[in-house]
Amino acid sequence: MKAIYLDYAATTPVDPEVIEAMHPYFRETFGNPSSIHSFGQQARTAVEDAREKVASSLGAKPAEIVFTSSGTESDNYAIKGIACANRRKGNHIITTTVEHHAVMEPSHFLEREGFEVTFLPVDSHGLVDPQEIARAITGKTVLVSIMHANNEIGTLQPIAEIGKITRERGVCFHTDAVQTFGHMPFTVDDLNVDLLSLSAHKLYGPKGVGALYIRQGVRLEPHMHGGEQEGKRRASTHNVPGIVGLAKAVDLAQRFMSEEGSRIAALRDKLIRGLFDRIDRVRLNGHPDRRLANNVNISVGYCEGEAMILSLDLMGIACSTGSACSSTSVEPSHVLRAIGLSIEETRGSLRFSLGRYTEESEIDQVLEVLPKIVRRLRAMSPAYRSISAGRGTGG
Amino acid sequence: MKDKVVIAISGGVDSSVAALLLKEQGHEVVGITMCLGVAAEEGGRTKCCGPREIEDARRVCQLLEIPHYTMDFSGDLEEHIVKPFVDEYARGRTPNPCVACNRHIKFGTLLDKVTAMGFDFIATGHYARLEKKGGRSALSLSKETRKDQTYFLHAIKRETLDRIRFPLADLTKEEVRQIARKHRLPVSDKQESQDICFIPEEGYGAFLRTRSIDVKPGEFVDCAGQVLGIHRGFALYTLGQRARLGGWSGEPLYVLGIDARKNRVVVGGKANLMSPGLVADRVNLLVDNLPARAIAKIRYAHRGSACTVSLDGDLLRIVFDEPQEAITPGQYVVLYDDGVVLGGGVIQEVLN
Repeated sequence: MKAIYLDYAATTPVDPEVIEAMHPYFRETFGNPSSIHSFGQQARTAVEDAREKVASSLGAKPAEIVFTSSGTESDNYAIKGIACANRRKGNHIITTTVEHHAVMEPSHFLEREGFEVTFLPVDSHGLVDPQEIARAITGKTVLVSIMHANNEIGTLQPIAEIGKITRERGVCFHTDAVQTFGHMPFTVDDLNVDLLSLSAHKLYGPKGVGALYIRQGVRLEPHMHGGEQEGKRRASTHNVPGIVGLAKAVDLAQRFMSEEGSRIAALRDKLIRGLFDRIDRVRLNGHPDRRLANNVNISVGYCEGEAMILSLDLMGIACSTGSACSSTSVEPSHVLRAIGLSIEETRGSLRFSLGRYTEESEIDQVLEVLPKIVRRLRAMSPAYRSISAGRGTGG
Repeated sequence: MKDKVVIAISGGVDSSVAALLLKEQGHEVVGITMCLGVAAEEGGRTKCCGPREIEDARRVCQLLEIPHYTMDFSGDLEEHIVKPFVDEYARGRTPNPCVACNRHIKFGTLLDKVTAMGFDFIATGHYARLEKKGGRSALSLSKETRKDQTYFLHAIKRETLDRIRFPLADLTKEEVRQIARKHRLPVSDKQESQDICFIPEEGYGAFLRTRSIDVKPGEFVDCAGQVLGIHRGFALYTLGQRARLGGWSGEPLYVLGIDARKNRVVVGGKANLMSPGLVADRVNLLVDNLPARAIAKIRYAHRGSACTVSLDGDLLRIVFDEPQEAITPGQYVVLYDDGVVLGGGVIQEVLN
């Protein structure tokens, strides 16, 4: 049986066209873009072409794009870079309780360095209230950082609306768009953002390359000191094949986006409906319609995500859970806790994220296999047996 | 026959070789490492389920080409093992958490989970044996008598025995190491840990203090209540342990009793440690009926002594042929007959 991959939010396979585009930059056009000679110049051209591609896809200017090594680096650069550059202006940062660790941890770091960070709560769908952001802004606020779409539950934040507020109040606004870039059409002006993080490996590009959009006029303290690359904003020899791969992935995304988005959304809806039809005591986490086209996040009552994921994987189906034991932590998902789930419901959570290569037959396979796994696991749960027995006596 | 087996793999040499043997026997094997949430601090000593141990387990499973997962048991560890352990210490007793872990976690929660996931058996790297006796599974000594672990396994529920495999039953530790070396398992020369996994490097005192147990100096007294010296905190002493008193020049003193309430440790000569028998409760039986005569082990390192046994309700009364030294309340007594584990219980009372 062919393995079924439903964890596209974690990472995606690299599109063959992307690999093909990257290929010449390993051996033929291998030069260092900072070199003066023709080898360097050819590589430099490739990097600048890529910059134009990424910039135009965002409605930005090429000079507003800084290439980085990942979405995490982009987030770190944005948050710490703004904080350091504005020490004299203020020490207050606003974000939410559902951000990715790449935003949470730099924020906690800055707290230890004496900054004040407001972590705004979200509602039960994971939405932050723009008016709360307006109320939280003070004269000391130097940055608002709100993710575009949540990586776990898929909720889309009202970024454009928030951006209007921050613009009126003259506060810099950053969004982590790692889950949306290349999956939904938008420009930085649509969103009213000053900083935007993106990553290649979530859109069928290679791992190890990302970018940060920095609106012209916004000053950040560089975090990589060294050579003069990226206008001295981010020193480090360019990852030329990676940058070329990112640009190609953007190119393909623009070509496929609208058609792919509606196809995947239809599969997502089929999966959600099917799970609700076949499994009792299941809830959908996140917003019913303001959500990523590819995200399904559910909590299955009286079932542990860990056991479900393991059983699914042994049946060749890969997905993720909000409460898995990695080798160092067993913390339940902070996102699921923030939208009000109990520890129990967090444990029973599963995330399926669909993508370019997801087929309807694979969704059918999940709908065939998962209900059986849940039945088997619940048969061993004393709590479930007692409630289903209680139901039995009534009928 | 090809079975679906989960090997509880810790990253040590024993469970790694057990996994290898199951694989060689042709079973469909999946490795699971229990994550107990007691990871070692950065740069600290390797713990049973620290990141390095999990990495070792994963590496072995990769070499054996079997799937590997980690599962979180930190909640179970706290509820079934650590809390009762701390409570017992607070009462001045010396519990054995490994026995409880085998009953409640490895052959409890973990076994239930893998059964629900559709596996036929759970296997571990314990030195122990299971064999059919009169149609039912019986737990008995393994070939490796010096490292036999049946003492730690006596409390598991009898009905689970049919779903357990001990692949190391017919091997010595040295043979296990040889197999590991022959197959170039990266864990072949690892030292085994003798420690309780959730006790930090700083020791019992530090651990108990984090659990709000007041470990502070108190008095050593003799049987008449006369103060002989100062100890470091009652929780750090175990019955039968040699007590070293500053400036004491008389005959060697041993811990005879612990009064948790008064933070007092009673000491006396070795002769006072001897006792003819014990009463145990929370009895777990692995056979239909207990014989009148058996061999009893009163701690893991005990060689076992002949005794007469009677069971009255949930109380197990054991009278030894020869008086025994330092029978310790809170420890387990385990009964054997011709190498077969009959069952055991928790020592409640020491007979005079």
